Amino acid sequence: MTVDLPAATSEPPAIDAASDPSSGAAIPPPRWRHRHLLDVDVLSWQDIELVMVTADSMKEVLARPIAKVPALRGHNVTILFYEASTRTRISFEVAAKNLAADVVNVAAATSSVTKGESLIDTIRTIEALGADTIVIRHPVSGAPYLAAETFGGSIVNGGDGWHAHPTQALLDLYTMREHLAGGSLAGRKVTIVGDILHSRVARSNIWTLTAAGVDLWLCGPPTLLRGFESWASRGAASGRRFTVTSDIDAALQDADIVMALRIQRERMAGGLLPSLREYAARYGLTSERLETVHPDAIVMHPGPMNEGVEIAPDVAAGSRSVITDQVANGVAIRMAILYLLAGGGRG
Amino acid sequence: MSATAIAGMAIGEVVADLEIAGAWAVDPASGRQGPADVLVADGILREVCWLEGDAAAGIDDGGVIVAPGLIDLHAHLREPGNEDAETIASGLAAAGHGGFTTVCAMPNTDPPLDDAAVLARLRAAVAASGSPVGVLAHGAVTVGRAGERLAALGELADGGVIGFSDDGAPVRTAAVLRSALLYAGGLGLPIVDHPEDVGLAEGAEASDGLIATVLGLRGVASAGEEAAVARDIAVLEDVLRDEPRARLHLTHVSTAGALRLIADAKGRGLPVTCDVTPHHVALSDEWLAGARRWAWEGSGDPWSDGALVAAPYATSLRVNPPLRSVTDAAACLTAVADGTADAIATDHAPHAVVDKDVEFGLAATGISGLETALGTVLAAVAAGRLGLGRALAALTIGPAAVLGQRLGRPVGLIEGAPADLVAFDRAESWTVTADTLVSRGRNTPLLGRSLPGRVLLTVAGGRLAYVAED
Repeated sequence: MTVDLPAATSEPPAIDAASDPSSGAAIPPPRWRHRHLLDVDVLSWQDIELVMVTADSMKEVLARPIAKVPALRGHNVTILFYEASTRTRISFEVAAKNLAADVVNVAAATSSVTKGESLIDTIRTIEALGADTIVIRHPVSGAPYLAAETFGGSIVNGGDGWHAHPTQALLDLYTMREHLAGGSLAGRKVTIVGDILHSRVARSNIWTLTAAGVDLWLCGPPTLLRGFESWASRGAASGRRFTVTSDIDAALQDADIVMALRIQRERMAGGLLPSLREYAARYGLTSERLETVHPDAIVMHPGPMNEGVEIAPDVAAGSRSVITDQVANGVAIRMAILYLLAGGGRG
Repeated sequence: MSATAIAGMAIGEVVADLEIAGAWAVDPASGRQGPADVLVADGILREVCWLEGDAAAGIDDGGVIVAPGLIDLHAHLREPGNEDAETIASGLAAAGHGGFTTVCAMPNTDPPLDDAAVLARLRAAVAASGSPVGVLAHGAVTVGRAGERLAALGELADGGVIGFSDDGAPVRTAAVLRSALLYAGGLGLPIVDHPEDVGLAEGAEASDGLIATVLGLRGVASAGEEAAVARDIAVLEDVLRDEPRARLHLTHVSTAGALRLIADAKGRGLPVTCDVTPHHVALSDEWLAGARRWAWEGSGDPWSDGALVAAPYATSLRVNPPLRSVTDAAACLTAVADGTADAIATDHAPHAVVDKDVEFGLAATGISGLETALGTVLAAVAAGRLGLGRALAALTIGPAAVLGQRLGRPVGLIEGAPADLVAFDRAESWTVTADTLVSRGRNTPLLGRSLPGRVLLTVAGGRLAYVAED
C-alpha cells in the first residue's frame, strides 16, 4: 500500500490528489473517517496502518531536496498551546509548513486557562480568523473534546493533561516498527518506565501498543502507577499481556523496547517521591541496568529528558537510543495526520 | 384526574376543589397502597377513598400515582449571591415541578447563612416567591464556613434552622466537629456533614478506578469519604458521653465502604442518619467516558462492551462527591432498599452556563437535580431494582423521620390535614431538556433523556405548587 503525494511543482494543490485516479495514485487509500484526532482509542488498526503508510510517504517527501508538497496550500493550521512546549509545537509547525499550510501560532498564557477568555471563546475567535485545523495542547484532561464540540474544522490533540498525546503514540509506534526486524510488534516486550500516573504519553501508548499485541510492561514507583492495575487487568481478560510492576529488573529483563518517561520536580512536592536522587538510583535507565534487555533492544524517550535522572547521558546518546529518530519521525507522523484530517484519506 | 378546576389556577392558590379519581395511592406513612379516589377541598385532604371490587378494576401501580409530597433534605437554592444559577423563586418552582413540597436549603450561599440576618433574608425571599413549597434552612457550622469559629448556632436555632452544615466542604477538623456536635446537640439539632478527606480529595476530578485512570482525571479514593465518615462517627461517639442529644447526619454518601461504616454505627445504636443522591444511585463514572446506561446496567468497563455513545468529559457530570463505580452505585441502591440510607436527597446544585461550559477540570461541581430526582428513582423502580413503596418512602417518610419535629407537620395521605401530595403518571415519560426544566440550572447529564413518571400536579400545604400544562 502506498500513498502518492504530488510533487512540489504539481498543480492544482489538491488535498484529494491521492484519491483522484487522474493523479496517478496506484492504489486508492482506505477511507479516513475521522474529523478530529482527539485520542488513539477510537482508531481502528486499519486507521493506524493508514497513518503509518501515509507517514512513509511523508518520509519520502522529507528526503527530497525540497521537502515540501502543496497538499495543504490555502489551509490554515492554528497551533494553540496552553502549555510550554518546544518540540511538539515546532514539530507540528514544521509538519504543517512542509505541506504548504498557512501556520498561525498562538501561545496562550497558562494564566488564561483559569481567567479571562474561555476556551470556547478562543476557539470561536480562531475559527472566525480562518483556521481549518487547530492543534491544541492544554493542561486539563479532555479540553480538546470541548474544542471539538465548538469548532467547525478539525482538532488535533497535541497533548491534554494526563490524558492523551496521540501523535506521540503514533510516532512511537512508527519508530518501533522501523527499528524492529520484520516490523511487527506482536509479542515483543515493551517496557515503559517512569511517571506513568501523570503521563499522557503512557496512556496513548497503552492503546496503540495493546492494539499492536505487544507484551506491555509499565514500571515505576508504586505512587506513580496508581490506578493502572485496573487497566492492566482489563487487558488480561481479553488475552492481552499487560503487566504493571515496581520491579525494574523484571520489567527490563529481555525487553525489546524500553521507553523512559520524564520525572518532574513537582512530584516531590506532592509527596509522591522522596527525591530525584532516589528515583535515579532505583529506576534510572543506566547501561548496567540495561544489560539484561534483549541484545537488539532500543531505548526511547518522548522528551524533554532529565539526563541523569530517568535516563543516563550515555544511554540517551548510546547505540540503543532512537530518541532523535523519534523527533524526525514526529514530523512525518504529524504531516500524515494533518494531511489525513484535511481530506487526504477520504475515499 | 379531574384537573379542570386546577387548570386556570395560579401557583400558590388554595386548591379549592380537586378530585383525583381512579389513581393508585401510595401512603408510605401507613404502608398502604392501592386504587383510590383522592378528594381535596379548600386546601384540605378531605378523603382518600380506597377502592375495592369493580371500582378498583383495571387500576394498577403502573399509571397515575398519588403520594405524599416529596421532601428534599439537601438543595442549593443559591440566593443570595449566585442568582444567575438559581433564585429562591426558580428553585421552588423547580421543586414543585419535581414533586417536592418541602426543601431543606443548604447554607453555602454568598454570604453564607451563618447569622440570623441571612436567615431573615431567606425567609423574605421565600415569602416573596409566592410558592407554597416549604423551605427549611440549615445554618452554617462555622463563621463564613471557614471551619474555624462556631457560627451563631444558638441564634440560628432560635430563628428556626433545622441543623448545621458547612456543606460544600466537610467540618474542617475533628476538634471543630466535636464542639459543633456538643453545642448543636444542646440545642437539639444535628450536624449535617459532607464527608470528605480534603487532603485526599484535593483537585479531584473523578473517583479512583479504571475510568479516571484511562481518562487521565485526578482521582479521589473512596477512602477519602470513608476516612471522613469514620472520623465523624468516632467523634460523635465521644461527644455522646457528654451530650446524649448530639446527632449526626451524613449527606450525599456515595461509597460502599462509607455505607458499611454507617450501617455498623446504626447497628450499635448511634444516632446517625444519612442520605444518598439519585445520581449516585443511578449513574456511575462510566458516564464520564461517554456511556449513558444506568448504573445497574453497567459493567465498569464501557470500552470493552461498546457502551460509549457520547463524547467523554461532559462537565454536567462533574459533581462532588464524584460519580463512583457501578459497584458503589449498587451499594447506594441497596442502602435505599434496606434502609441504611434514611433518605434520597437531591443535592440540587444548579450552576450558570458559564461555570459549566469550560474544561472538565475547571467546571463547577454539581448537578441540577430537583426536577429529575423522581424520574431517576422511578427508572430504578421500572428496572425492578427498587420497590415503588420503598422508593417513595425514601423521598417522603424517610427524610421526614430524619427531620422529626423540625419538619413541623405530619407526613402521609392524612385526611383532614392540609393537602400535601404529588400526582405523577408512571405510564407517561417526559424528556429532560433545557425547555422542560424550570430551574435556572440546566446542568444535568440527563438532558435529552426520557424519564418515566411525568409529574401532573404538586400540592403543598393545600396550595398549588405545580400543575402540568396539558
